[in-house]
Amino acid sequence: MTLFKSKKYMKTPLQLHELPIGSRAVIAGYGMINEFTERLQELGLIPGTLIKIVRRAPFKGPVEISYGTNRVAVRAHESDSIFVECLN
Amino acid sequence: MSHCADDTVESRVIPDSPLIAFVGTPNCGKSTLFNVLTGLRQKVGNFPGVTVNPALGNLLGHKKNIRLIDLPGIYSLAPKSPDESLTTAVLKGENAKIALPDAAVFVINGTNLEKSLFLFSQFAALKIPTIVVVTMIDEIKARGGTFDDIELEHELGVPVLSVVGHKGVGVDEIKEHLRSIGDFSIPQISSLDADSIEIRHKWARELSKNVLKLDQRDAVTERLDKIFLHPVFGPLIFLAVMLLFFQSIFTWATPLMDFIDGGFSGLADFVATIIPEGIFQNFITKGIIGGVGSVVIFLPQILILYLFITLLEECGYLARGAFLVDRIMGAFGLQGRSFIPILGSFACAIPGIMSARIIPNEKDRLTTMLIAPLMTCSARLPIYALLIAAFVPAVYLGGFLSLQALVLFGLYALAAISGLVMAWIFKKTIFKGSKLPFLMEFPPYRKPSFKSVGITLFNRGKEFLQSAGTVILIFSIILWALTEFPRADVPEGTPQLVAERMQLEQSIAGQTGKFIEPVFKPLGFDWKITIGVIGSFAAREMFVSVMGQLYSADVTETDATLREVLKTSMSLPVALSVLMFYVYALQCMSTIAVLKRETGGWKWPTFAFGYTFLLAYGVAFFVYRISLGIF
Repeated sequence: MTLFKSKKYMKTPLQLHELPIGSRAVIAGYGMINEFTERLQELGLIPGTLIKIVRRAPFKGPVEISYGTNRVAVRAHESDSIFVECLN
Repeated sequence: MSHCADDTVESRVIPDSPLIAFVGTPNCGKSTLFNVLTGLRQKVGNFPGVTVNPALGNLLGHKKNIRLIDLPGIYSLAPKSPDESLTTAVLKGENAKIALPDAAVFVINGTNLEKSLFLFSQFAALKIPTIVVVTMIDEIKARGGTFDDIELEHELGVPVLSVVGHKGVGVDEIKEHLRSIGDFSIPQISSLDADSIEIRHKWARELSKNVLKLDQRDAVTERLDKIFLHPVFGPLIFLAVMLLFFQSIFTWATPLMDFIDGGFSGLADFVATIIPEGIFQNFITKGIIGGVGSVVIFLPQILILYLFITLLEECGYLARGAFLVDRIMGAFGLQGRSFIPILGSFACAIPGIMSARIIPNEKDRLTTMLIAPLMTCSARLPIYALLIAAFVPAVYLGGFLSLQALVLFGLYALAAISGLVMAWIFKKTIFKGSKLPFLMEFPPYRKPSFKSVGITLFNRGKEFLQSAGTVILIFSIILWALTEFPRADVPEGTPQLVAERMQLEQSIAGQTGKFIEPVFKPLGFDWKITIGVIGSFAAREMFVSVMGQLYSADVTETDATLREVLKTSMSLPVALSVLMFYVYALQCMSTIAVLKRETGGWKWPTFAFGYTFLLAYGVAFFVYRISLGIF
C-alpha cells in the first residue's frame, strides 16, 4: 500500500491542463520564471500549495482553480509552465 | 482636460495638507471605503500612458484639508502593468506628479488575508506610516469565523481597524485616525527576514492561520457558482443579463435623451425670442446651447452603462461573465472582459470606451478601445435608414424576409466582424507579446454598496462633463464657426431652406468640402457628400441634416422628400460607397475626445482616426469600383 502511494507521488509532474475536473493536486513547480509565473506565486500559488480543479468554461475556455479561500482562472494553453502532482 | 492632475501637484506644497494613500490588493474593498470617506467631491488624475487613473479626494467633514488618493490595486511591489507601476512608483516616491504620500491606509480583505499579508510584507519595507483597515469582518462573523486583530496589530506593528464599508460601520473611527497622522506608525515585522516570494507567502499563510479562524468554504458563493457557471444555465443567464444590459442602454436611455434633446432645443427657441436675430443669436443658440446639448446628451447612456457594470462588478458577477465568454473573445486576441465595452459600443462608443476600464490588462484594454468605434452605434442608423430606404427595394425574399432588413443586418455584421478581425491584427502586431497571460480572480459574491455605486456614478458623470465634455464643446463651437462663416449674401425674401443651403455652401466647411472633393472623388463622392462627411464629424447623424440642407429638402430620414431627391441625384454605387465609408470611419469628435481622455493623450485617438479612415476609404473605394462594373 505504501509503495503504491509513494509511486503515485513519485511520478513525473503533470501540466495543469492535463488534470481532469474535480481533481486535487499540489503545485510542484514552474517550468520557467517569468512575470506570469511570478504573479501566480504572488497570488499564493507557491510550490506545495494544495489546489483543486473546479471547472472549465464552455468551449474549452479557461480553467478555474481553487486554493485556500482563493479562486483564479487561467487559460489552458497559457498554463503549460505550471507543473502539478495529482493527488487522486 | 488634464488640469485635474496639475491641481494636486500645486496643492501638495501646502504643508498643512497631508496626502494619505489607499493601498491594497485588487478587490479588497479599498475603493468602496475610499468612496465612503471622500463622497461626491472626487477628482480623477490624468497621467500619460496610464488608463486607470487614481481618484483623489478630500476627507469628508473635516476643516483641515486632508487629501486621500486611491491608488490602483497591486499584488506586490514588482509591477506587471502600467497601472501597478504607477502605484509602486508613488509609494517609492519616484512619481514626478504625485509626491510621496505622508501616510498610507493599507486595506485588507478580512476573508482573504494571505494575499494582503504577502503584499504587506513587501510594503512594510517602504517605511511609510500606516494604519491597516480590515474589511468584510461582518462576513467572517456571518460564516461563524473569528478575527484576532490584536494578534495582527502585534505582528505588523501598526494600528489595525475594522470596517464594514457598505454599512458605514467603523467609518467614524477611521476618520478619527485620518485626522491625526500621529496615530499612524511605521510597520515593523520582526518574524520575517527573507526576500523570496515563497518564504514571504509561507509567513503570510502562517500568520493568516493564527489570526483568521474561518471555515475555508464560502458555501453561498459555491452554491451560486453552481448556477451561474453551470455549463448550460450559465451561458443562458449570461445571455439574459447581456440582453437586459443592451436593452437598457439602447432603449431605456432613449426617452431621457429625447428629453435632454427637447430641453435644449426648447431653451434655444426661448433664447431666440430674447436675443435679436443675427449672428450673435445664432452663436448662442446653435453654437453654445447646441454644443452643451451635444455633450449632455451622452449622460443617460454613460450613467446607465456605469450603473450596470458597477453593480455587476461589485456583486462579483462580472468576473463570472468574463470567464464564460473568454474563449470566444480569446479567439480574437481579446479577453472575456472586453465583451461589455464592445457590446456597449453598439449603442454608443462613448460609454463603451469609458467602460473599458474594467479590463485589467493594459494591452487588451487599448485594443478594445481601438476597435470599439467600429461597432455600429445608434448614430449611424439614420444614415443607414436614409440610404437603404432610398436605394434598396422594399421587397421580401421568399415572401417574408425583408431585403432592406437583410442589408441593415449585413452592415451590423460586417462592422462587428471587421472589428474583431482588427483586434486580432492589433494583438498580433502593435500589441504583440502581452506581458501577462490571462489571469482572473473570482471574488466572492457580495451585496453591492449602493452608496458607493451612487458615488461612483456621480463622479464618472462629472468627470465626463469636465474632461471629455470640454473637448466636445470646443469641437462643436469650431464646427459651428466653420459652417456659419463667412456669412453668405442672402437676398431679402429668400426661402429659409434655400438661405440655409447658400450659407452652408459658402461657409468654410462648404468651401473645404469643394476643395477636398478630389480626395473623395475615387469613392464617387461629389462635393455635397464631402460637405456631409465634414459636417457629420459633429455627430454621424448630422450627415442626414447636412444633405437635407444641401438639397433644400426636409431633413427627417423618414420623410420621403430627401429620399426621393437622393434617388435621382445619387447613383447606387455611390450610395453603397457612402454606406461602406460610414461602417468604418471614426466620424465622431465625441469618440475622439473620450479616447483622448481614456488613453491620456492624442496618440491613440489619432491612430484610431487614421486606421479607421484608411479602412473606410479602402473598402468604400473597392465597393464603389466593383459596383460600377456591375451596375
